[in-house]
Amino acid sequence: MFDRRRRPQSDFSEELQAHLALEADRLRAAGLSEDQAQRAARQNLGNLTISGERFYESSRWLWLTQFTEDARYALRRLRKTPAFSITAILTLALGIGATTAIFTLVHAILLKSLPVSNPGQLYRVGKEPQCCVWALYSQGKEFTLVSYELYRHFRNNTKGFEELAAFQAGGTSLGVRREHGENAAETYFGEFVSGNYFSMFGIGAYAGRTLTVADDRPGAPPAAIMSYRVWQQKYGLDPSVIGAAFNINDKPFTVVGVTPPGFYGDTLRNTPPDFFLPLTTEPVVRGDSSMLQQVDRHWLHMIGRVRAGQTGASIQAQMRVELHQWLQSHLGDMGANDRSRLSQQTLYLSPGGAGITSMRQEYERWLQILMMVSGFVLLIVCANVANLMLLRGMERRQQTSLSMALGARPMRLVRQALTESLVLSLLGGAAGLAVAFGGTRLILHFAFQTITASPISASPSLPVLFFAFGISLLTGVAFGIAPAWMATRVDPVEALRGVNRATRRSGSLPRKTLVILQAALSLVLLSASGLLTETLRNLEHQNFGFEQNGRTVVNIDPVLAGHKPEQLEWLYGRVHDSLLSIPGVSSVAACLYSPQSGDGWNELIYVAGRPAPGPTENNLSWIDRVTPGYFEIIGNPIVKGRPLSEQDTAASRHVAVINEAFARRFFQNENPIGKYFGNAEIRSAGEYEIVGVARDARYLTNRLEEPVEPIFFVPEAQSVVFADAGNKAGEVRSHFLHDIIVRMQPGAKLSEEQVRRTLAGVDPNMPVMRMQSLTEQVAGNFSQQRLIAQLTSLFGILALVLASIGLYGVTAYTVGSRTNEIGVRMALGADRVRVVALILRGAVALIAFGLLLGVPLTLAAGRFLGTQLYGISQSDPLIITAAILVLALSALIAAVIPALKASSISPMQALRAE
Amino acid sequence: MLTREETNRTALLQGTLDLLILRILVFGPQHGQGIARAIQLNSEDVLLVDHGALYPALQRLEAQQWISAEWGLSSNNRKARFYTLTAKGRRHMAQETSRWRTLATAMARILDLERLESLPKMEG
Repeated sequence: MFDRRRRPQSDFSEELQAHLALEADRLRAAGLSEDQAQRAARQNLGNLTISGERFYESSRWLWLTQFTEDARYALRRLRKTPAFSITAILTLALGIGATTAIFTLVHAILLKSLPVSNPGQLYRVGKEPQCCVWALYSQGKEFTLVSYELYRHFRNNTKGFEELAAFQAGGTSLGVRREHGENAAETYFGEFVSGNYFSMFGIGAYAGRTLTVADDRPGAPPAAIMSYRVWQQKYGLDPSVIGAAFNINDKPFTVVGVTPPGFYGDTLRNTPPDFFLPLTTEPVVRGDSSMLQQVDRHWLHMIGRVRAGQTGASIQAQMRVELHQWLQSHLGDMGANDRSRLSQQTLYLSPGGAGITSMRQEYERWLQILMMVSGFVLLIVCANVANLMLLRGMERRQQTSLSMALGARPMRLVRQALTESLVLSLLGGAAGLAVAFGGTRLILHFAFQTITASPISASPSLPVLFFAFGISLLTGVAFGIAPAWMATRVDPVEALRGVNRATRRSGSLPRKTLVILQAALSLVLLSASGLLTETLRNLEHQNFGFEQNGRTVVNIDPVLAGHKPEQLEWLYGRVHDSLLSIPGVSSVAACLYSPQSGDGWNELIYVAGRPAPGPTENNLSWIDRVTPGYFEIIGNPIVKGRPLSEQDTAASRHVAVINEAFARRFFQNENPIGKYFGNAEIRSAGEYEIVGVARDARYLTNRLEEPVEPIFFVPEAQSVVFADAGNKAGEVRSHFLHDIIVRMQPGAKLSEEQVRRTLAGVDPNMPVMRMQSLTEQVAGNFSQQRLIAQLTSLFGILALVLASIGLYGVTAYTVGSRTNEIGVRMALGADRVRVVALILRGAVALIAFGLLLGVPLTLAAGRFLGTQLYGISQSDPLIITAAILVLALSALIAAVIPALKASSISPMQALRAE
Repeated sequence: MLTREETNRTALLQGTLDLLILRILVFGPQHGQGIARAIQLNSEDVLLVDHGALYPALQRLEAQQWISAEWGLSSNNRKARFYTLTAKGRRHMAQETSRWRTLATAMARILDLERLESLPKMEG
């Protein structure tokens, strides 16, 4: 068919016939009779059929023609048995779809590179990304962030980089308003980047131009780049935006260009930056919180493109030397701690093609777990479909034997069966793409709830399509091989003699093995889902140390509204009073970071009257700044002394409340009340007087298995005067409180509309960034755990159902084929109970083997989950026992139904049936 | 391919049948039955071609474009497929013929030996 110049079969047959005729003519001419001539001619000609077959088989494209034939035949057969086909295709769609959905995420988060040119040439500084600001001169295991001065030092001295760019770690919120035509600012996410950021990435502007080094000079006209998403969604691709005047945080800027669609910056995150501003505009935008000129505030990441021929290792070595040069040059500014740690300071270069990989790190483990889970489900699905195929093969035994008796070669039959499997699995794969698309969207929705503009798309890309196709093929081969091979291990005579004449299923060993496999895998999934669900429960119900019910967190950003530090006290006073006036509100307080908000601020502590801490001493503590009434609102009890209150004003002495962990770390057995300490500078060691100790509460969202970290609380109304400029700026920044906690009276509800209106009444330029109940805020930190637990449970139930169906199928088939035997037994006196027991024995044996295989796998799975578990051991016997019981119960139900049917067979009927 | 003494089946080297067919076709276009008959007659009944061998050989030759084929009428007005030698085929045949002759001569020389030509002494 594919060989155009090829002769058709008919033409060759004609030639053979002609040959026959000519030979007969010759023999007739030699004197034989008509009959004899024909017979002799035929004899001389040899086996015509074989000649014809050889001709047919000499075609180069034979395998393709045969494959097409087999495929068509398979489709016809599938159409004839719609029940089987639909079941198989749906089951396959589920398995392949789930795996493909997970792969879509794996590809987007773990495997893809940044959409920039030549990502392979990019290197970033830092192995484990940190965010967002490091102070002073030591950074733990490695230097990952740099200050502006340090960046310039590297940029000017490292010749190995063609371009070295720096950009703000973590980004920042900006209030943006177009100069002519917009009155209210809207909040967007933005990032400060160096002038060569876009040229380093090799990204050109989609419209207008990108930032250049000329824009990144002090005194240059402030330029900004807008993202394509904002240009499209907010401004409808309006070309007049390019070159238009904008106000960013109330400062004049010009938008000079738009990034290409699909460019999401240097970090895969839930909200990609919408505006890119030059580094040198940072002081203008952030005013008193500016960090650009502070040499010891490290807030920039670096990514560079290496020159051809340079290796990462050589550049890394050179950069380490440069780092030490820079540190040496600041020896005089360092504290004792930094000086003693100086020799340990180092940095690492790692491949930067994927950008800053914090999302990768965060989600890597989850995606690995999900991939394994979906892989298990796929295996179970394969086992199920293989079982179905084996059954089909059994039913067709007579036909297969006939074909073999008539001369069909076993290989051909195997190929036929395999083709059928492939067709089935490709159909399942196609249906699975739809499942994958829906599944991915579902997962994205639940896992990344705070997304406003995710760069992760659920639509299948080319790699995903290839993956789905590949998996379908593999699946088809996996579940097709066994039935195909089984199909040919048929003794034709045996089959033609008749069915149902067996006492044991000789051919059902593969089916039984499959059921055992399914049972084992189901056990693993059930146990895993039990472990993960229990983990989630433990996480959500742990003792947080504060009250969640009836509290709402309103998140604002006074920086955006352009408030000056002097205005803050007035601002928060007004916010407090106006929110209190809403009916149903019982109390209001503000804080820098609410518990479980995901963010925090830490400081170095110096206790009055003590020498400076040595290099091995941990004098770190977290800090929170609060307004009066905070501890009461948050439900955090004070165990000693008093909370912060209205009596702590700007004029009164500086006070602080510490938590129990702080007291333990810095005061051990002494009573901390009345003692003095300070932060940031040792000369401030007598700054705060401790007036109260609060119960330990979980503020931070990570390292939940470790004890609570020390934290101290200082009043909003009080300010410390520092000598160092950086500390001064930090102190100022810490007064801009973000979270307002509103406590409602029991039964009262707070509407977002009300809050927005009230706050707009206080300051129309200060929008509400986010508002959610404290319960939601806490729960939001566990959305991944919840998703994993839910998905694993779903798959666990699915696996259980499939395994039960498999067991039911095998048992029913056994009953069906042993009908004669049962009839004989019953005729010889066996009662119903004995028959049921007989059938159940087989089923129980299968499950027992399944458990035998499954328990060690479960223990291994527990070890794999390892660090993801919380408050529960990897091999929790309760969970495993529960899983075993659930499996055993459903297996029992699955097996009992056909067993009961078997016991109700009437012996006469059984013996009569054939 | 059989010889008349069925007890001693002689296997032919591959390509030998091809050469025979090409040689037969030098004398003009011929159909399958005619070629088989010609080989039988002209080898004095030593070589009998059966169709399991003939037609695959013809298909091979046609695929290599050493012969071309077309339907025509036989001497007694039967429709038959006639094969003709192409120029390419003629060249190939000439090459193969000389190779075959060289081989046959060498075979004959050794098979007709009275005594061995100088043979290096085997060292003990």
